[in-house]
Amino acid sequence: MTAVTDMTSAPSAPAIRKTPKATFDFVFRNASFLAALLVLVLLAGIMVSMVIGGWPAFREFGFGFITSSVWDTQNEQYGAWPAIVGTLATAMIALVIGVPLSLGIAIYLTQLAPPWFKGPVSTAIELLAAVPSIIYGMWGLFVFVPLFAQYVQVPLSNIVEGMPLIGTVLYARSPSGLGIFTAGMILAFMIIPFIASITRDMLEQIPSVLRESAYGIGATTWEVVRHVLVPQAGVAIIGAIMLGLGRALGETMAVTFVVGNANRLSASILDPGSTIASRIANEFNEAMGLQLNALIALGCILFFVTFIVLVIARLLVSRVKRY
Amino acid sequence: MLSTLELSPRTLDAQAPVRISVRNLDFYYGEHKALKNVNLDFRDRHVTALIGPSGCGKSTLLRIFNRIYSLYPEQRAEGEILLDGRNVISKDVDVNELRSRVGMVFQKPTPFPMSIYDNVAFGIRLYEKPPKSELDDRVEAALRRSALWDEVKDKLKSSGMGLSGGQQQRLCIARTIAQRPEVILFDEPTSALDPISTGKIEDLLEQLKSDFTIVIVTHNMQQAARISQYTAFMYLGEIIEFAPTDTIFMNPTKKQTQDYVTGRFG
Repeated sequence: MTAVTDMTSAPSAPAIRKTPKATFDFVFRNASFLAALLVLVLLAGIMVSMVIGGWPAFREFGFGFITSSVWDTQNEQYGAWPAIVGTLATAMIALVIGVPLSLGIAIYLTQLAPPWFKGPVSTAIELLAAVPSIIYGMWGLFVFVPLFAQYVQVPLSNIVEGMPLIGTVLYARSPSGLGIFTAGMILAFMIIPFIASITRDMLEQIPSVLRESAYGIGATTWEVVRHVLVPQAGVAIIGAIMLGLGRALGETMAVTFVVGNANRLSASILDPGSTIASRIANEFNEAMGLQLNALIALGCILFFVTFIVLVIARLLVSRVKRY
Repeated sequence: MLSTLELSPRTLDAQAPVRISVRNLDFYYGEHKALKNVNLDFRDRHVTALIGPSGCGKSTLLRIFNRIYSLYPEQRAEGEILLDGRNVISKDVDVNELRSRVGMVFQKPTPFPMSIYDNVAFGIRLYEKPPKSELDDRVEAALRRSALWDEVKDKLKSSGMGLSGGQQQRLCIARTIAQRPEVILFDEPTSALDPISTGKIEDLLEQLKSDFTIVIVTHNMQQAARISQYTAFMYLGEIIEFAPTDTIFMNPTKKQTQDYVTGRFG
């Protein structure tokens, strides 16, 4: 008897599904719309509060806030120039050191590395990307900085002293190991895992038949990489570099440890300096009144610089895409 | 270079010298033996087709002639492939120089991320530094030879990636012949193309055999019958039968060959 009822109920199974309530679908659609809207609201909220918070400083100092090098909390005079230069300089140094190394790592791993070596190195890169920035900062301050002072800054300063241009740019007045260049180095170590792993993934996605046909025409490994694989992955590699640049511009903790936190602008990359993020981190605790407004205005500028970097990245990407 | 005798697809010259001879060739993917004691002769300026069911080793065999397999450390070949009397799988062969003499066209069109002109000039520039005018001439000649010139002559500077699939494949053929190789290997060159593009590539192969020794892997038996003078039927890593194409398709001596060409298996 049960078998009979089972058999008769089976064909009518689709009818068990009730017509879904229209209200649920309505709620679902609007909930997902609100989730997407939240992104825009957040971005606009951050932008507006930064501008409002920084506005008194911009109003007080005008365009001079960007070009002035004075940062005097006693007399309430604030200028962002050394921090802007420090931010751009450390990020540039990080890219100059980090990008070639990252591309080298990615190319070696995808094209040349024997399998027994590839696995450990790939894992190490992923792990490096997961190291918190404060660890890089501590390692930089306690391990790298003393070594750098003793074995690079002191001998280098002795060599270049008195030389035109180089004697200025590479001369450390107080060879403490701290400085713009040190911060750039630490940043380079921090962005390498990002750029290397994304580039590796992109190179791995290139169909093997393209690689084979480049080798098949008699090209050497260098020629295959230089003329075929890297241009093929070009857009993605630029994206990876820009991601690294974004991180280098905004990185706070590690830089604050090793940059020296000097408010004065020096012509030497071996001298202490500061970046926007490090200055904010250093002073935010005790800042009040106009100083607080000046710090928020600095944040505004960092926001703006990062935005410019993104725009340039987009332009570069669209230029490459046409090929 | 020009032969006075125009060969039709069906005519073959049994006196033609042997360009490549394969002797006692074994091939391994790691532990797996993919080719077993292969022996074959490829005649100069003839089209030889390698046919057989999937996994029979025909592409594997093709990929040994230009040592492309050596990109993968776990693959190795043992035996001899003599090209002009030299064993191409011996360690002391310069693989880049070998590959400039033994060109290859792949299953899928593989234009490089550069202009049409640069795609064709790429292989030439690797080995020679001809003056601009001579380079222009060679690029044009290669594009004419691959029946692509009329379609691209006004956009040589635009990207090779913008061409249709069939055009891209002819671009790859132009790139290969621009280097003036002696042998051209085709690895299922039309498997990703529509019938019209396939027809153009087949016409092209017909033209090219007056200058080049051609080896083509195809899973399409009609194609093998249309374009080749010699056919080798492979099965499970062995050469089952190797003979003039007419013999393979009309009068094969082995039962397996007959079963395959009549569509009974594979």
